[in-house]
Amino acid sequence: MTDDASTGRYHLATLFPALGGLRLPLSRDQAMLLMAATNEIFLGVDIFFAHQISGSIVGAEWIPILFGPIAGILLLGAGALAPRHRDVATLFANAVFVASIVVGLMGAYFHLHYALLPSAPAGERVTVDLLVWAPPLLGPLTFCLVGLIGLSAAWLEDPPDSGVLVLLRGRRLKLPYSKTRAYLFMVGMGSLATVMSSVLDHARTGFHDPRLWLPTAVGVFATVVSVGLGALDRPTRRDLWAYVAAMLLMIAVGLGGAYLHIRVDLGAGGTVVLERFIRGAPFMAPLLFADIGGLGVLALMSPREPQPARTHEGHEEQRKG
Amino acid sequence: MTDSDPQQGSLKSARLLVIGLVSVIVVLGLAVIVLAIGRGGQRPSPQVNVLANSRDPCVECHRRATPGIVEQYGHSAMAAANVTCMDCHRAQQDQPGAIKHEGYTILGEPTPGTCERCHPKEVAEFDQSRHSLPAYVAYAGSTGLDSAQLAAYRSIPEGTYQPDLSRNAIFAMEGDSITRFACQTCHAIGKPRVDGSVGDCTKCHLRHEFSLEQARKPETCNACHIGPDHPQFEIYTESPHGIMYHTNGDTWNWDAEAGTLTPRDFPAPTCAICHMSGFGNSATTHDVGDRLTWYLFAPISTRRPSWQDNRTRMQNVCRTCHNEEFVKEFYLRADEATEAVNGLVARSDSIMAPLKARGLLTPQPFDEPIDFTYFDTWHFYGRTAKFGVWMQGPDYTQWHGAYELLHNLSKLRKEVKEKLGEAGARR
Repeated sequence: MTDDASTGRYHLATLFPALGGLRLPLSRDQAMLLMAATNEIFLGVDIFFAHQISGSIVGAEWIPILFGPIAGILLLGAGALAPRHRDVATLFANAVFVASIVVGLMGAYFHLHYALLPSAPAGERVTVDLLVWAPPLLGPLTFCLVGLIGLSAAWLEDPPDSGVLVLLRGRRLKLPYSKTRAYLFMVGMGSLATVMSSVLDHARTGFHDPRLWLPTAVGVFATVVSVGLGALDRPTRRDLWAYVAAMLLMIAVGLGGAYLHIRVDLGAGGTVVLERFIRGAPFMAPLLFADIGGLGVLALMSPREPQPARTHEGHEEQRKG
Repeated sequence: MTDSDPQQGSLKSARLLVIGLVSVIVVLGLAVIVLAIGRGGQRPSPQVNVLANSRDPCVECHRRATPGIVEQYGHSAMAAANVTCMDCHRAQQDQPGAIKHEGYTILGEPTPGTCERCHPKEVAEFDQSRHSLPAYVAYAGSTGLDSAQLAAYRSIPEGTYQPDLSRNAIFAMEGDSITRFACQTCHAIGKPRVDGSVGDCTKCHLRHEFSLEQARKPETCNACHIGPDHPQFEIYTESPHGIMYHTNGDTWNWDAEAGTLTPRDFPAPTCAICHMSGFGNSATTHDVGDRLTWYLFAPISTRRPSWQDNRTRMQNVCRTCHNEEFVKEFYLRADEATEAVNGLVARSDSIMAPLKARGLLTPQPFDEPIDFTYFDTWHFYGRTAKFGVWMQGPDYTQWHGAYELLHNLSKLRKEVKEKLGEAGARR
């Protein structure tokens, strides 16, 4: 349950009662959608640098680079359209998010295809070494995660935290879990993908630097805690504190990791050699930890939509009926 | 609203399924994490032949016809990246160089125009380098170049250095039957190709393994940069850098990601590290002249265009291991030594001047002993002394360089004196 049974508060307000009366300019779903749009744009930029590692970007490698910013801009446009034409905006956003999932799956397939050696002798076709040195298998799945979060955020949940999504023309879909718990599962999956990517990347260095254990430990902790919190029907304040701590650690690890990666990439005397940033430690990759941590914190916000959002045509009809 | 609402679908019963799937994913993910942590930081073994069970028609046929190249390619990073034979060898019907082969239209020998499709930056850098057209012009001259190639040639620093004057007359004297096994073997690295591209990437990236380690090793440069006219490999071997390579090179990280090399990967430099690799604050380049300050190959060395920028790029590499004072001092002294060798080589011109003034030299090149003596002075000994200075090979600076240079000047004086005497003139 998201709202504390005794106080009627949502998770974040349970931990920080002072936030209970605070009116934020964005609802949780709006914040999630904004994060999704921002993520799409940053993914495009990140992949632009990542795909340059081979010295050139060819063919299908351009798809995510172009898709990311276009999707982000379209989503921002949908956000601007939503107050007046929510249905249109929702459909528009859903199309973008479905496309995002498709792009993510295609990317994962291409990366996996690169990692496998189908004509190699048996036993050598799929190895952990190949996964370590292949393009990041889980990297493209970030598009899928953003797509899933976006799809969840785009549809109204009514009543709040019920797991009932209001679809077009007032149709309703009862999901196994509430949106909040679905978000927690997604944050857990995002944490897992992030820590796996981090471990596979860092495995290239043989984990000689003890600092590399920090993102590994924090990522595993965040995965277990997020999934655990999503699975619990009645989490205690301590459970919530553990989750918040995990998310704050993810944010700290992300920011710290980005700083350390940039420091590794800088040449002597702080000189910027672009090639080192492209082919060296990926300077934007650690920010995925911070991104997931941020999404994790947003998941604890109030699930209630602000009143104007209830102008959803189908929902209005439903209420009138 | 209840579950029985006709407008409401329900997936509520899938709760256990969701928890089950999430648990499976988490457990598998954590298992991969544990397995990956146990890796030693080394790339997958190149011993795996990724084409061992390939059913590709090219592979199946060539496994019988030319098994060596199939074996080599099976161990290449390109094959592991799913680059097929036809990705490089496929050709259009009207493509220059295309041939019919077992029902396919192919390029028997892909050119840099092929490599460029995936490696445009590397090919562009190479095109601007001394390894490109200047290498070819050095033996074939520039007369065979079309206008575009001539323009490209003139845009290369070596192309602005007295074009054609550096062409070696020995090439024409020896003839094609000899030079195809000699000069051309190395200098064809810059030969124009039928498709308009220039050069031969496989001179350094030997086919069909295209191994990063092989291309980075000094032995690859040794294929051409050896011998009395440019003994760089011998000088490197004598230098502290070369001693480090021969002592510990087998422990270096030869497969390190290009552009990110550090002293941890290469505790001492190879030829590639200084001249090409992304090392320290210098980015990777396939223009081998990009970090050079002098035309050391020339009889009298002069500064290259933009030599200050080139010097900065080379010093960026030096400073990764050496302090700034050391590097500055080295450059100061090496510049002085280069000027000094220039001075010695210039003496050979002064010694020869009376013969030229009196028209006592035949117009044909290399038809009398003094031509060889004069040529050896700069082509062997002057160059060797300068290369020895810059690459820290004292024996090559001294006994194979400056000493031989002085010895040759003495020989040249004697030969000039004899010729003047024969002509009845006194110097």
